[in-house]
Amino acid sequence: MKIIVAIKQVPERDAQVRIDAAGKWIDESNLQYALNESDAYALEEALQLKEKSAAAGGEVVVVSVGPERVGQTIREALAKGADRAIHIVCDDLGLRDALGVARLLAAAVKPENPDLILTGLQSEDLGLGQTGVIVAELLGLPHATLILNVEKTETGLKVKRELEEGWFQTIELPTPAVLTIQSGGNKLRYATLMGIKRAKMKEVRQLTAASLGVDAPPVVVLEHVALPQKQKSTQILPGTAKEAAAALVEKLKFEVRVL
Amino acid sequence: MILFLPTFAEPQHFSFFEKLLFTGLVLASAYGFWRRFGLVLKKILKSKKDPSFHLFPIGKRVWDFVWEVLCQAKVIRERPLPGLAHAFVFWAFCAFALVTLNHCAVVFGIGFLSPAGTIGRLYYYFAAVFALFCAVGIAGLFVRRFLVRPKWLGARLSWESGFIALLIFVLMATYLASFFIADADPSARTLWWIHTLALLTFLPIIPYTKHLHLILSPATVFLSRGSFAQIPPLSGDEDFGLVAGTDLTRLVSLQAYSCVECGRCTEHCPAANTGKLLNPKEIILGVRAYLNDLGPSSDQPLLGKYNQQEAVFQCTTCGACEFQCPVGIEHVPILVGLRRGAVNTGAWEDQYGSKLFLALERGSNALGISPAERDKFIQKQQLPIFDGTQEYCLWLGCMGGYDPKGREIVAAFARVMNYLGTSYGVLRKEKCTGDPVRRLGNDLVFQQLAEANLEALAQNKVKKIVSICPHCVRTIQEDWKEYGTPPEIEHHSEFLARFADKLPRSTTTATNPESFVSGHDFSHAASAPNSPGALAPEVRSSPVPAPAASHPVPEKIVFHDPCYLGRYRNVYDQPREVASLAGELVEAPRHRERSFCCGAGGGLSFLGEETGERVSHVRAAELVATGATTVGTACPFCNSMFRDAFDAKGEGAPQLLDIAQLAARGLPPGEAS
Repeated sequence: MKIIVAIKQVPERDAQVRIDAAGKWIDESNLQYALNESDAYALEEALQLKEKSAAAGGEVVVVSVGPERVGQTIREALAKGADRAIHIVCDDLGLRDALGVARLLAAAVKPENPDLILTGLQSEDLGLGQTGVIVAELLGLPHATLILNVEKTETGLKVKRELEEGWFQTIELPTPAVLTIQSGGNKLRYATLMGIKRAKMKEVRQLTAASLGVDAPPVVVLEHVALPQKQKSTQILPGTAKEAAAALVEKLKFEVRVL
Repeated sequence: MILFLPTFAEPQHFSFFEKLLFTGLVLASAYGFWRRFGLVLKKILKSKKDPSFHLFPIGKRVWDFVWEVLCQAKVIRERPLPGLAHAFVFWAFCAFALVTLNHCAVVFGIGFLSPAGTIGRLYYYFAAVFALFCAVGIAGLFVRRFLVRPKWLGARLSWESGFIALLIFVLMATYLASFFIADADPSARTLWWIHTLALLTFLPIIPYTKHLHLILSPATVFLSRGSFAQIPPLSGDEDFGLVAGTDLTRLVSLQAYSCVECGRCTEHCPAANTGKLLNPKEIILGVRAYLNDLGPSSDQPLLGKYNQQEAVFQCTTCGACEFQCPVGIEHVPILVGLRRGAVNTGAWEDQYGSKLFLALERGSNALGISPAERDKFIQKQQLPIFDGTQEYCLWLGCMGGYDPKGREIVAAFARVMNYLGTSYGVLRKEKCTGDPVRRLGNDLVFQQLAEANLEALAQNKVKKIVSICPHCVRTIQEDWKEYGTPPEIEHHSEFLARFADKLPRSTTTATNPESFVSGHDFSHAASAPNSPGALAPEVRSSPVPAPAASHPVPEKIVFHDPCYLGRYRNVYDQPREVASLAGELVEAPRHRERSFCCGAGGGLSFLGEETGERVSHVRAAELVATGATTVGTACPFCNSMFRDAFDAKGEGAPQLLDIAQLAARGLPPGEAS
């Protein structure tokens, strides 16, 4: 089974994010980057699927869009066990919308003819949760989201979706398909020194938007980005103690919704 | 006067047949010896070269050789009676070198040490004294092994040791008996032959048994790695630690063949003493068995048949084994080497271990807590930020920055530094030094952490670091050297001891002044070391009433030596000096060099539940039994382990304070910045 895993490099969770001078994107200097968490689970799922059907052979190919620094994250994915990688080099990721990124991914993935495409449920920076679904649409493949577990069957796949409030849904779908993976379905493996050394010898093919022939202006344009404002407000409820208490209950019930 | 003493008798003439027989026997004996010894030597020499080994500086090697081999200091100091008995045997062997050479030479009429001449006579008496002590010594060792039977020697009785003891006894007895007969007496010849046969039987047995240490251990002691528990750097792209026979280095092989199976390592091992699988002696013998069966060119895994992964990951790296070993075996690099082999290739699967590795691959601290929590602590405690103008960089470490009790220690230490007027600052951002991953064998994460930290320290122009954590101190000072030049660093016990005369002694109270001064009451913090909440910061800002004025009570303090401060850094007196500011010191039965581990080291505080008894509980019980009202620590990991152990004990547990807290006790109130 040939599995493509689309991964994204995002600012490290502990990073102190600042807004750049133009207010259009975050200041990327002095920022540490890491692999998006649900993408890490997508990669883990792919590696486990490959290992389970080791006899049948298989390949895990990671693909990522982003500037040169993404190479580091790609190497980590290769170190954990991916066989090769495609790096779509692009310096203006911040300006591209989900459709634009999905177009790049779809164009790069299509000639690979994979049996399965996995990606994280959503990115930790923008959190749009759309890229995987749009890739499926562009490639004309069936897709399922919020996947915790993937099982190969005779005819295709059996997957477990996470619903709200502890409910799960199990569905079957044919391959090839696109799945967006939820965090926490598997135990992640740690990167090893041997993996990193071996990764040096693995192929990373670099492509660009131009070489893929994908160049369309974004449909969604980012106006500006801002840090969440910390707000503290104090309200004095007037009236007698009884009236004030009644007003307080009202607010707690309907405004703050804690009662 | 010596003329009146009996003269040593030796046969004067040997027949042609005797000469022939003797020559034949010597050749047979030498062949028997070489057949095995040559093979052992080949296995050692065919092992991989130690990439980082340097013979220089040679002074320390010579000193170790003189002190540990010639003086038998370690052998005697750590086990005085059997040690002394062994030393007598060893010194007699040395004294006998000349006697034995002459013994063989007389067959061919080329004896050079005539028992009748003055020098010869003197030398024979000299050797006789040693022979007497040796005979008594070897008899004592025989009694110990076969009648006393200490469990460290193993369940199996070593008959070959009994036989060797008998041979040595015969050698000494025949030598001494020769003083009581005349040269011409036929029994002189008989004694000579018995002595010869014992000698020639002894020689080939040596390389087949643990008595090989006779020949190898002087070399092993001389060719040590150079410093205690030193973890060698990996070399090249194919070195992942000790994976297979091809990874065994000459030093490892030499050490494996040097083991004398005395079991001192096991006797002092916290894992072996609390019902775990790990037995350091068996680890070394496992490597030896591997070399015997498969040799140093094999690509069969080292872990599996000969040594078990489970055992290797039970080591706390306390170093008691290595410290005790009388033949120069360095257990810690071997155990860590085996872990490196398992972790660097991904063979080790452990949910807690993976969690730790992932936390440090992506985050900054071993506890997996957001660095924002550290920032909050720094703000709340008003710790100054290091800006290059201060003298010291106060390194918080994971425990000091995130653990509630560790933070109390930092707060107390900061108070003392404020009192002393020392300028210091903390880094805005700090990553784990990599101690737990280094000891667990994850070189990839260790390298990332070491490099990031070294860069941050260089950017901030840090010249001097002080830390409350001996693990941080060790890792920064020694282990980071592989990736750069770390700044000067010292442990806060060393810092505090330097200023001990400037610090007021405290009139002791039973209450903990820290909770009052720092404004946080940490006493309700979750405490099980392995539960997820244990290390989470739980800062309560509810004001705590000032402790009621209490009467000075006689305070008995027992100080627990942390492995990484004591055996690893040779710092024993400084923390005691500091602790004694707050009361009267008592000692636990195992202290200083022989201190028993708290169970946290080697990354083990981050792994799952222990099998058998908990190391921390055993040590805590020992500390409680001293009757001390306060247990003094100098390591936040020890502190965390004992916190849990005392909680399990419930009422009546002694107070647990770091030496920084003990030093801060005597400070006037309101001294906090």
